[in-house]
Amino acid sequence: MSESKLEKISSLVDNFRDSKSQSEVLFEQINSDNTLSETWGRYHLIGDVLRDELPSEISLDLSAQIAQSIADEPTVLAPRKSTFYHDVKAKVVQFSKPFGQVAIAASAAGLMILGVQQNVAQNDVVMPSQVAQTTPLAGFAAPVSFNTQSSTRLSQKQTYIEQQKRFQALLSDHHQQIKLSVPRDVAPATLSTKKVEDSPK
Amino acid sequence: MNKLSFLLLLLSISLSAVAVETAPATPSKSDSKKITPISATLWLERLSIALKEVNFNTSFVVVKNNQAEPYHWFHGVDENDMELEIFATLNGPRRDILRKGSVISYIEPEVPPYSVDSEKISGPIPAILSGDISSLASSYEFISVGRSRILGRVAQLIRIVAKEQDRFGYWLWLDQESGLLLKMAIISRKGQLLEQVQFTHLEITDKLVDTLQQLKVAELPSVIGDVNSYQDQELSWKVNWLPSGFKQVKSNRHRILATKQPVEFVLFSDGLVDVSVYVGASKDKQRDVEYVMDGATLVLNQVNNGFEVSIVGKIPSATAKAIADSIRLK
Repeated sequence: MSESKLEKISSLVDNFRDSKSQSEVLFEQINSDNTLSETWGRYHLIGDVLRDELPSEISLDLSAQIAQSIADEPTVLAPRKSTFYHDVKAKVVQFSKPFGQVAIAASAAGLMILGVQQNVAQNDVVMPSQVAQTTPLAGFAAPVSFNTQSSTRLSQKQTYIEQQKRFQALLSDHHQQIKLSVPRDVAPATLSTKKVEDSPK
Repeated sequence: MNKLSFLLLLLSISLSAVAVETAPATPSKSDSKKITPISATLWLERLSIALKEVNFNTSFVVVKNNQAEPYHWFHGVDENDMELEIFATLNGPRRDILRKGSVISYIEPEVPPYSVDSEKISGPIPAILSGDISSLASSYEFISVGRSRILGRVAQLIRIVAKEQDRFGYWLWLDQESGLLLKMAIISRKGQLLEQVQFTHLEITDKLVDTLQQLKVAELPSVIGDVNSYQDQELSWKVNWLPSGFKQVKSNRHRILATKQPVEFVLFSDGLVDVSVYVGASKDKQRDVEYVMDGATLVLNQVNNGFEVSIVGKIPSATAKAIADSIRLK
């Protein structure tokens, strides 16, 4: 495989190429493969020697020298610098994104705090005025009948635990009293008879 | 044409056959309807006897407020015809009820253990079921409904239905074989299930089980003497309306254990349902009616002109409200 390739290179160097496309493929291979490009350079050198076209000064590794000189040149640094800049930029984006989010969140929280404070402030202002308005107008805030529970509802919620305790206490006392009640053989006074007894009092 | 007439003939024969089949069935149904009131009472009497005389060892759960409380229940009669009985809660702190003859001991976490000289156990099963069921007949009707399968046994459903709208109904599923209770449900007037007792295990034995043999030799807490003297104190108010059949069991002044609040108290009972009425002074001037249900047990609480009125019992809220509204100073 490599033998045929070397033959092809040699024929290309000697300007004997079979087709344009094939030589193009070969050029690409030479470009990409270091050993092939070295062979390519050597064959040209051999050809130069054979044709007696050698320059006064022979530089065997010209391409390397060129590459070195390109690297040393300040203009050559520019593209490298640009890639470095890209990397940094990407990093900056990564860093700055969470920072930005935090910043937004913080500002949102700040707004919320502001908003809550404003609402509270508004409520403080609005509440008395509502009371001041509604009481003389319709008076639905004032409990008129037992069915109106709006005012007591608030206190119910405040004393919810107390209420639960009260119910629990009543329940357990109810059960306790039943346990302590001893049924008597003597017929207990019925309600109706008791009423009759009580009525003269 | 011939075929058609044959078909008609066939149809008429089959119709008459159906008529013959249904004819004897109808009178038997009406017969059963006639006997039901008697048979339901008989079923309940059989239950009462079984609960007093049979040695059984059973487990059940009380289902209320989306919770299930498991119990173990032992009952037995020793050679001297003394009844021995244990109700034991299986979850949470120990709440046991022990019985030796007419001495009943309550072991509870809130108070030191004590005993009462009584025939009636106040536990998850209404005491009247082992007592004189006919005393309920004035305010309740007993209806035999039908058979179903409970606890893997054939059960007869008996409904104890209040004659008035002011009480809940009790449904009892009784074991066909032993007459014992297999399931009980407390149902509201609208058919809503409020509380349920479902048996999960039933074992009937000839002799006393070991647990009851141990109870027989165990020493029970001392009996609280002279409970009666503490009862029937004269109070400054009275209840002017009660559902029919309710009688006053006792009245007294005491402090509620948990809150130390002094109250005047009257306990009423119709035999099946106990209703407590509390009247006391309150810190609050006025508080609207509040209701809470614990299973079938309702608690009503309200404050009117500084007087706190509470009603507790297995009754509908309308009944409790009517009782509370009928309270007047003498």
